[in-house]
Amino acid sequence: MAALFGGRRRWRSSQCFHVWSRQLTGKYDYDLVVVGGGSGGLACSKEAAQAGPRVAVLDYVEPSVQGTKWGLGGTCVNVGCIPKKLMHQAALLGTAVKDAKKYGWQISGPVCHDWATMAEAVQNHVRSLNWGHRVQLQDKKVKYLNLKGSLMDEHTVKGLTKAGKETILAAKNIVIATGGRPKYPTNIQGAIEHGITSDDIFWLKKSPGKTLVVGASYVALECAGFLTGIGLDTTVMARSIALRGFDQQMAGLVTDYMEEYGTKFAWKCVPKRVDKLSSGALQVTWTDTRTGNEHKDTYDTVLWAVGRAPETKALGLDRLGVQLNKETGKIVVGTDESTSVPNIYAFGDIGEGRPELTPTAIKAGKLLARRLAGHSTELMNYDNVPTTVFTPLEYGCVGLSEEEAEKRLGKDGIEVYHAFYKPLEFTVAERDASQCYLKVVCERGGDMKILGLHFTGPNAGEVTQGFALGFQCGATYSHLSQTVGIHPTSAEEMTKVNITKRSGLDATVTGC
Amino acid sequence: MAQRLLVRRIWTVSVKDIRRFPAPAAATTAASSCFSTSLQPAATRVSFLAPSRSLPRSLPHASRREVSFNVQDHEDFTERVINSQLPVLIDFHAQWCGPCKILGPRLEKAVAKQKGRVAMAKVDIDDHTDLAIEYGVSAVPTVIAMRGGDVVDHFVGIKDDDELDSFVSKIIGQ
Repeated sequence: MAALFGGRRRWRSSQCFHVWSRQLTGKYDYDLVVVGGGSGGLACSKEAAQAGPRVAVLDYVEPSVQGTKWGLGGTCVNVGCIPKKLMHQAALLGTAVKDAKKYGWQISGPVCHDWATMAEAVQNHVRSLNWGHRVQLQDKKVKYLNLKGSLMDEHTVKGLTKAGKETILAAKNIVIATGGRPKYPTNIQGAIEHGITSDDIFWLKKSPGKTLVVGASYVALECAGFLTGIGLDTTVMARSIALRGFDQQMAGLVTDYMEEYGTKFAWKCVPKRVDKLSSGALQVTWTDTRTGNEHKDTYDTVLWAVGRAPETKALGLDRLGVQLNKETGKIVVGTDESTSVPNIYAFGDIGEGRPELTPTAIKAGKLLARRLAGHSTELMNYDNVPTTVFTPLEYGCVGLSEEEAEKRLGKDGIEVYHAFYKPLEFTVAERDASQCYLKVVCERGGDMKILGLHFTGPNAGEVTQGFALGFQCGATYSHLSQTVGIHPTSAEEMTKVNITKRSGLDATVTGC
Repeated sequence: MAQRLLVRRIWTVSVKDIRRFPAPAAATTAASSCFSTSLQPAATRVSFLAPSRSLPRSLPHASRREVSFNVQDHEDFTERVINSQLPVLIDFHAQWCGPCKILGPRLEKAVAKQKGRVAMAKVDIDDHTDLAIEYGVSAVPTVIAMRGGDVVDHFVGIKDDDELDSFVSKIIGQ
């Protein structure tokens, strides 16, 4: 008993001594501690360690409600971009196999998809990336700690193991890059017990079967898209609009294509409850808000894709006075990723108003590291960020949506060039291309600077990346029309676009 | 006479091998090691994910089971590898690594041929990350040869049977 008492006293006094000595000598264990080992955190810590500073990164994955957990690398590597794109590819290959017959391939009988094979291959690749990141941290001399980080004060980070063992780190600067996690609906009975989220879908060992995807964000549509593509009965239940924040005309083309290719849509519907039947299937009760009627149906899986919440709760930020946005819970950040507390910075998905994208997090992280080391004053430019939604018909864009451009300059202040086109590959395959479309939103008059580029079609991501460079350089409509197209491609249609919405002329392209 | 017996045994083993594992020609030419391709420089070949295969169980020699083992933890490694009387081949591999599944059985075969003169320790780098990092493993498969607690040789990627035989012979000091 006495020994226990003595021990506690000793610990307290040693902690006091530690703080006292640190204040005296200004010595820290680390020059920089990064909390969060995702796209942003890893990029920041590796860049920071280059010049010599002592850098540590803490990464910890709280298992999902259903128990899924994963390794180093964050959302993108484990439960986002990477597995998503691979499964999207699996689905596209299914469509390609169907097209193949028209191109002369002798495929006997229907081709089926095996979830377990795809899942294992995708999960194996993700694990190889976890390892790769681990090795990179080692190579760049970043100390990696698999601990759950929280902030004790502006220079102290506490790391906890799963068992509750504590490690205290004294840091000159602290960077928070903990990202976000999918939200569960709070007012739907059975949602948490019986539903899964994007944290779980990529790690399922068995096929999700007949799936209800609730939500109409890009996460919802991309998941529903590849599930349909691999042959599963999939329904999207949307409360209001699809792809909020994106150009709505383009969003409509994306969902039209999905509907045509087999994804069912329950528009303006809201789930009420989820019950598990004795067969193991899930019965979902929902309300059609247009009619007020209630409906029921059974599914094998219910996937909630109703938004993401920032990982700030467990960080202890309120105690330190780090300002959070009341509505979103995200950390309020300045243009230099600073927070309301001097040496604490935050960026990536956790930052209020920041795009929830990997490339912006990586770039912002690197620039922050350089600024903290005193090597640069360059701030992250969050404008002109291109992005692509990897639905069955991909949608790539950079710049403003037509609605946003109209809001800023007025309908008379913009000129929108547009065209429907048919990818050459669709012709022999006899595929419908009604939703393959592009539009260029320009300033009307003057140089006709391009304000936004939008493209739906195969490989939209690859197409948009190239045009994003032009956009970054301030391309005008005349630059675009002076650019010679590469033939035969879908991308060249962008250089040939010449019909304006204003003219009211038919925007269907008719060939060479 | 002994030579002919030896040749026949090797040939038998090889044929058994071929029948068990229909050798994919692509494996030897295309991929030789696994790494997260997005992080690797262009020179590295793409990982080849072969369907998972279990290690050959048809050689029931008790001596083989002693000489080839999975490392359990750091103490086990110290006891059975660093303090081993025999030279040891350490096979750093991963579940997600296709080339590892090709090299594994070949290593077992090469080690079995030596009839107890060399041991093989298998380390799953996801289970024993710290150990792998300590020995500077980046790509897998990585094979490190140890004698008397010192690293004497190593290689990364796949090797064919002859290359493995000569590697192992060198370790033993023949």
